[in-house]
Amino acid sequence: MELNILLQQIFNGISLGGVYALEAVGFGIIFNILKFSNFSHSGVVAISAYFGFFVSRYIYTHFLVTLIITTLAGGLIGVIIEKLIFRPIRLKGAPLTLFLVNSITAAMLVQQFFAATLGDDYYPYPVFMKQTSINIGNLTISKTYTLMLIISGLVLLLLTYVLKRTKVGIALRAASTDIRTPSLMGVNIDFVISVAFFIAGVLGGITGYLLGMTYSVDPFIGSMILKGIIAAIIGGMGSLGGGVIAGLLLGGAECLLIAEIGSSLTQIVIYSGIFVLLLIRPEGIAGKRYIIKA
Amino acid sequence: MEVLKAISISKNFGGVSAVDQFAMVQRENEITGIIGPNGAGKTTVFNLITGVYPLDTGEIWFYGKNITGLPSHRITDLGITRTFQNIRLFRNLNVLDNLRVAYGIKVRYTVWEEMIRWPRVKREEGETEELARSYLAYFGLEKYGDMFPYNLPYGLQRRLELARALMANPKLLLLDEPAAGLNPKEIHQLIETLLKMKEEKNLSIIIVEHHMELVMNICKMLYVLNFGKKIAEGEPKDIQRNEAVLQAYLGDEG
Amino acid sequence: MSSPLWKRGVRGDFVEIFKSIGVRGPMEFYIKVLEITCLHTILVLGAYLMTGLTGLFSLGQGGFVSIGAYTASIAYLHFNVPFPMAILMAVLMGSAVGFLIGIPTLRLHRDYFLLVTFGFGEMIRAALLHLAQLTGGALGIAGIPKLVDLPMILISILFITFLIYNLKRSRFGRNCIAIRDDELAASLMGINVYSHKMKVFILSSAITSYGGALYAFLIMFIEPNLFNWLESAKLIIITFVGGVNSITGAIIASVVYYSFGEFFRFVDVWRDVLLALAVLFVTIFRPGGIFGSWELSPTKLFSWRAKKG
Repeated sequence: MELNILLQQIFNGISLGGVYALEAVGFGIIFNILKFSNFSHSGVVAISAYFGFFVSRYIYTHFLVTLIITTLAGGLIGVIIEKLIFRPIRLKGAPLTLFLVNSITAAMLVQQFFAATLGDDYYPYPVFMKQTSINIGNLTISKTYTLMLIISGLVLLLLTYVLKRTKVGIALRAASTDIRTPSLMGVNIDFVISVAFFIAGVLGGITGYLLGMTYSVDPFIGSMILKGIIAAIIGGMGSLGGGVIAGLLLGGAECLLIAEIGSSLTQIVIYSGIFVLLLIRPEGIAGKRYIIKA
Repeated sequence: MEVLKAISISKNFGGVSAVDQFAMVQRENEITGIIGPNGAGKTTVFNLITGVYPLDTGEIWFYGKNITGLPSHRITDLGITRTFQNIRLFRNLNVLDNLRVAYGIKVRYTVWEEMIRWPRVKREEGETEELARSYLAYFGLEKYGDMFPYNLPYGLQRRLELARALMANPKLLLLDEPAAGLNPKEIHQLIETLLKMKEEKNLSIIIVEHHMELVMNICKMLYVLNFGKKIAEGEPKDIQRNEAVLQAYLGDEG
Repeated sequence: MSSPLWKRGVRGDFVEIFKSIGVRGPMEFYIKVLEITCLHTILVLGAYLMTGLTGLFSLGQGGFVSIGAYTASIAYLHFNVPFPMAILMAVLMGSAVGFLIGIPTLRLHRDYFLLVTFGFGEMIRAALLHLAQLTGGALGIAGIPKLVDLPMILISILFITFLIYNLKRSRFGRNCIAIRDDELAASLMGINVYSHKMKVFILSSAITSYGGALYAFLIMFIEPNLFNWLESAKLIIITFVGGVNSITGAIIASVVYYSFGEFFRFVDVWRDVLLALAVLFVTIFRPGGIFGSWELSPTKLFSWRAKKG
């Protein structure tokens, strides 16, 4: 492969990896607190992707404005999903398996709802930029991918600030160690969980928007979150930083592999890689081992 | 005869020492108590004996056999069963089946026989049920066989857990705060039951307990733990006068 | 997949539907619906054993369906293996792969297990696409003769239900439920959790690949996307509608869902929306599933009248 194409692939891969990192973090925040794999995150991503499409196509075509609207909508959807399908079973003290069932079901509900109403047609986002690429010397860099990278980077920085410096963020992190801690700090648990779903939803909203903008929208767009979940797993559930690193690595590796050996072999290689990794380190790269309580 | 022997066992979690060089001996057909303030590492000792956590150092011997590092189910199989501080019954199995689960290790039919309901399966299932019912009766639970455990009042759940631990026909029984949450009358019943069980089934029992009256009444030997370390051992009347023990408890309370 | 509902109209022109699935009249149509429904119910039974009873969340069931379908078809078409032997090979292959996958994964924490099994399903799909010489790649394998009929499927269901029902009401099933409820307490009751999970996993893989093999010789055409992760997920969540403690519930939920889908092909996608809503409704309002732990047993069936009267 030529060097400039290789560099381009790496750049695209890392940009895509940035989105995987967003997904991994959105997924990880919920896992940290409630200890279940939140597949409904893909629902948030899909709804936001369609929402972003409708807003930018029919209401107001401006990249930043529609991005912000979609982001807030994503947060709201996250909160609503929690209220509707997770809070009732949480208040009943349902086992974790039921959370898992509901999250998978919600993912399916959203996907099939869009398939049923809108069909499996592609809905392309409007073109925000006159030029789609920038040339730097020999390199041609896609503007979309550049935006993806910049936005994911900024969002992750902002999130780090929120988690480390704000009272809600600190309560959230405390809840990750033990869900009962926030109430000791005088913060309502229900509120903390709502906030967690809001933040995850915001991340989902941005993810949906970026994916929609890059690939156009179809009902199965939510499935792309699976790569983010895989990144979260590789990184180690419970470690947001690990998820980010794994996301970037995964995106980079995927783009390079697809260019080299084609997409079906890439899948095989990636999944066997995960298999081997979990054999060696069942708790992921940066995850802690679970301590069973007896 | 020595039933159980722990030789300087230790365990630490992320640098914090939960149990530090603990040693104990359990003799046949005796009741031994492990006491100490909250967080002293008493439950961890049980978890180490039953193989829930691997040991950091030390060895555990059971009837002259080194059981260090064996998986929990093997240890149960050899004859050590236990109850839990926070009751851990199987919520989706009814009371009778909770007992039958514990008898699984004694049942001899294979999966293949089970699939086609071979006559041996029917026979052994019948025997299991009979035994389970006799234990229910022993603990005054015969009316509740079809109920699900978490619909029972707390005191009965404790008794059910005890019954389940006995169902596997153990030689050594580990009871983790069996009196917690019981009222004085129930505690009195518990004491009687434990003494009766011990005699009838030739059991050896180790109890982790806060309730001093119970411990002082039925234990032959006591081990006192504080911050993972053994600070005293001896007969109850000696322990009651032990300076270090009083210090640990007063320090804890005050 | 299908185009939007309003573009097609909901009148449901049955004649057209019959034509589209290659049947001549209503009777043949009903039989076809029943065949497909029952076949999926075999798969649900496999998922019931693993997820419903034992609480192992696997999104890799689709992988085993494919393994069964492809093994049997390739053996039959390329290597002239007689039909019953081809089916047997599919089952053995499924069990063997189940064993190999089980070795590393069954020790994993629940969510990791879910993801790795999901990865397994995707890997099988990718492998089938990649090994085009043997599998026909994306084009799949066509021209498989229809050697499976309704009686054969019904007998299979009865037999598999009989096996699982027997397992459920003795030690095996109690151990499954104990492991699902509290793994630690289960191991302290003397259950070898890992080896028991392995038995469950192999058995479930065997049932699922058996279903896959029948599927190939019923539908007469297979392709790598036959059973994606969503189909695997459906098998799991159907068991939760009926109630994880009730085989009867799993079977009834499965029959209702799949026959509904076949009868109302024109609202094909909507049935998934309905299923999802039903699942959420049940988990929120009746967490034990519609049937709780109620089982229909021969004894109950015969004593029904006596009790009523």
